[in-house]
Amino acid sequence: MKKRGRGIATIMFGFGYGEGFPDHSIASAEVEDEGKILIRTAAADVGQGVLTVITQIAAEVLKVKPEVIRIIPGDTHLTKNSGSSSATRQTFFTGNAVKKASEGLLSNIYHYASIEFRSNYVELGIKDGYIFRNDNPNNKISYWELAKRVKEKGDCLKAEASFFPHTDKPDPKTGQGEKVYVAYTFVTQVVEVEVDTDTGIVQVLNVYTTADIGKAVNPKNVEGQIEGGTVQGIGMALMEEQVVKEGITLNPDLTGYLIPTSMDTPLFTTRIVENEDSEGPFGAKGIGEPATIATAPAIANAIYDATGARICDLPITPEKILKALKEKRGDCKE
Amino acid sequence: MKKMPKEYVGKNIFKVDAYDKVTGKAIYADDIYFDDMLYIKIKRATYPHAYLRRIDISKAQKLPGVVRIITAADIPWVKNFGLIIKDQPVLVGVGQKMRYMGDALAIVIAESKEIASKAVKLIEVEVEELEIISDPLRAMEKDAPLIHQDGNILATHYLEKGDIKKGFAQADVVVENEYRTSFLDQVPLQVEAGVGVFDPETEIIKLWVATQWLHDTQADIAQSLSLPKEKIRIIQPVIGGAFGKREDISVHIHLALAAMITKKPVKLTYTREESMITQSKRHAFIVRAKTGATKEGYLTAWQVEVIGDTGAYASSGPAVVHKGMYHCTGPYNVDNVKGVAYTVYTNNTYAGAMRGFGATQMAFAYESQMDILAHKLGIDPVQFRLQNAYSIGSSTPNGQVLTHSVGVKETIKGAVDLAGWEEWKEGRL
Amino acid sequence: MTKLIIELTINGKKKKVETTPSTRLLDLIRDDLHLTGTKEGCGKGECGACTVIMNGELVASCLVLAPQADGAVITTIEGVGDDKGLDPVQEAFIESGAIQCGFCTPGMILAAKKMLEENLHPTEEEIKRGISGNLCRCTGYQKIFDAIRLAADRLSSRDGGRGEEDA
Repeated sequence: MKKRGRGIATIMFGFGYGEGFPDHSIASAEVEDEGKILIRTAAADVGQGVLTVITQIAAEVLKVKPEVIRIIPGDTHLTKNSGSSSATRQTFFTGNAVKKASEGLLSNIYHYASIEFRSNYVELGIKDGYIFRNDNPNNKISYWELAKRVKEKGDCLKAEASFFPHTDKPDPKTGQGEKVYVAYTFVTQVVEVEVDTDTGIVQVLNVYTTADIGKAVNPKNVEGQIEGGTVQGIGMALMEEQVVKEGITLNPDLTGYLIPTSMDTPLFTTRIVENEDSEGPFGAKGIGEPATIATAPAIANAIYDATGARICDLPITPEKILKALKEKRGDCKE
Repeated sequence: MKKMPKEYVGKNIFKVDAYDKVTGKAIYADDIYFDDMLYIKIKRATYPHAYLRRIDISKAQKLPGVVRIITAADIPWVKNFGLIIKDQPVLVGVGQKMRYMGDALAIVIAESKEIASKAVKLIEVEVEELEIISDPLRAMEKDAPLIHQDGNILATHYLEKGDIKKGFAQADVVVENEYRTSFLDQVPLQVEAGVGVFDPETEIIKLWVATQWLHDTQADIAQSLSLPKEKIRIIQPVIGGAFGKREDISVHIHLALAAMITKKPVKLTYTREESMITQSKRHAFIVRAKTGATKEGYLTAWQVEVIGDTGAYASSGPAVVHKGMYHCTGPYNVDNVKGVAYTVYTNNTYAGAMRGFGATQMAFAYESQMDILAHKLGIDPVQFRLQNAYSIGSSTPNGQVLTHSVGVKETIKGAVDLAGWEEWKEGRL
Repeated sequence: MTKLIIELTINGKKKKVETTPSTRLLDLIRDDLHLTGTKEGCGKGECGACTVIMNGELVASCLVLAPQADGAVITTIEGVGDDKGLDPVQEAFIESGAIQCGFCTPGMILAAKKMLEENLHPTEEEIKRGISGNLCRCTGYQKIFDAIRLAADRLSSRDGGRGEEDA
């Protein structure tokens, strides 16, 4: 018989390394030749899209089109430390460093332009890579022309900035600390499953997600993180297990270790909660890890709702469900 | 507060690297070729816990096309590596221990992948087998053989807030359960790969290898090879997924050594099997959770014991396991919290970072506990969560008071609204 | 080792390549022809990253031996789109946010193209099935479905498969 059920899970995730580790990102922004603005950062784009986030932030601050932003690939000899693409930290940390570097560059653009215009900086405006006098917008200089003139004076249009928030090392005896993580992301998922009580097979039908991430720098890519994280969570909940017996992995390939395929994807309904009072760039927090955390417990709770079987060890395989149903087991006890 | 409209932030700008990725132009590490490039394969451990007594490379060395085989005896100056503790050998030498099946015994460098693979099979190894410890509970027993010198419990972390006894005394209902999660592989679709080149003029080793943190990886390679950091240059290729798996050293040091010693461009690409056996896992957790609440449905006490199987080497294990414990109550107000977390060595594949870093395993425990409690108390699970959820001024298990950006209740109400939770419930009655 | 020469047409170009009886088509494509858009994710035909179109069929090039491709007509990702621009499927992948790490993308796009060549009006279920042999670890597949739907809509509503947006 096929039974449907729904489960809910709400999670928090303290992001950044936190715990007093010297966690920081360094970035620089400079006006370079051929109409580009160069951003240097070592932030690794592992697919999550940090390079796109950085591009949007720099474009926003400097009022240039995103195509104008050029980011060089991470290189230990050409970029400074941007920390790890982990701990859900890159949008928050490198995003802030790039924002501050872009603001530093912009300050210099204003400074040197005010000399060129024989004006005060407050009388100047910027748009599409030009700086101009507000009282005569046609009297304008491009950032690149300005950079040439600055170079003739022996300086350059460049700024470097870092983001290095303080956190506290928790007390070793109690784990207590004033600021252990820079910020927290919160996610709730409601999951609807269908359980075949004859076979024990679970199909995840619907996943409703709300995530408090402060501000989505790129909403579609945030959705992509949530969908990808959720499907990894489905894997963790229902199928994935590296089976290690006496130190030997019994399933070291994708034939034996199953990950979700397109057939396992549920219908997604996602709402981003924007609570822009975070210290992140433009209010943004991180979503990378929180995207996967709520899914497995929400599925376990939905399976309980559907069948009355409570499974407390992952993955929840058909065999475990059938066994629990047979024993009419509604709690974790073996 | 009125917000200024933004031009690019908050907009669905196309991914800046998407064009290269849809056309096949994006260059990942394994896509890099040099004309006279050599290929590397690694001879791995033959037993999960054993002393290496003899290694004989003579037959392998004679295979035509084999350029060089490096064993520990060739590189006595090379040091261990590791993210938190330098406990992982670059190559296991004679008289030393292999602690899991991913330990490296020899670096085989040949003119082709096929020759390198054949040569690996010709290397003869003799070992002295030791008891294999695959279960962290066995590892914690007093008579268990030591995997590393300083004991099988690599780290113990504590958490204490309020008065746990008082908290349970206030509770009308207490639930206590044990949760288990499995070893998972991150399965980034691209397996570990890299190319290394030694520049004799500058003596800089250039590596094209994916890493989640360039400068940390550079530092670990440099200390292991006793070189100044500036002699190791890592250039980030396009990365085929990571999810935590690319924090640890994989091909990096072997590549650097092979490039240094042969003075030729070298490439090392794992098989999927090698990736799964050799590189980090999501920790298998045992979480014993005890939670108390009043009959009105307010949480009073939460106690956890966490045992994280960190496998043969530390990697980021201690940080993962205690981060899991620090998240033990989820986003719920609990005045009295107590926890202990053990990070335990075994002879399993080592465990490290994977998306959620311990907090993922812990959420399975706390959100199951919340659901079980709600049913026991006869309170709707949504209402139960809402009435315990954080708001501004709440304090986490670490005692961190949340002063801003606390949208937990909004997410609960939002998800329930999206899902039509109330209608669903009524429809079932 | 025995060497042999095979001839194949790859992305519209005739090539003669020296190879061995045990060389995989995947290695020939990557190591000899340097068409590195074709990826290896598992080497066992499980993941679909090495998918190419051979004689009109989707194949896992890690499971095909090079000599079996003698005389074959093969399309890899480098043969999708042309000098004038991207293929509508490639465009749709970019616009739909279907790209994360990108490692599955070449195989995914070839599988999607093949599906749409056979059926311009796929149902949701048919889209899911059409790419079920291609694993993606990043996206959760939804944005890939969206991309295929977008490409299908555009291709089916246009003359000759190119033209204005209908979104």
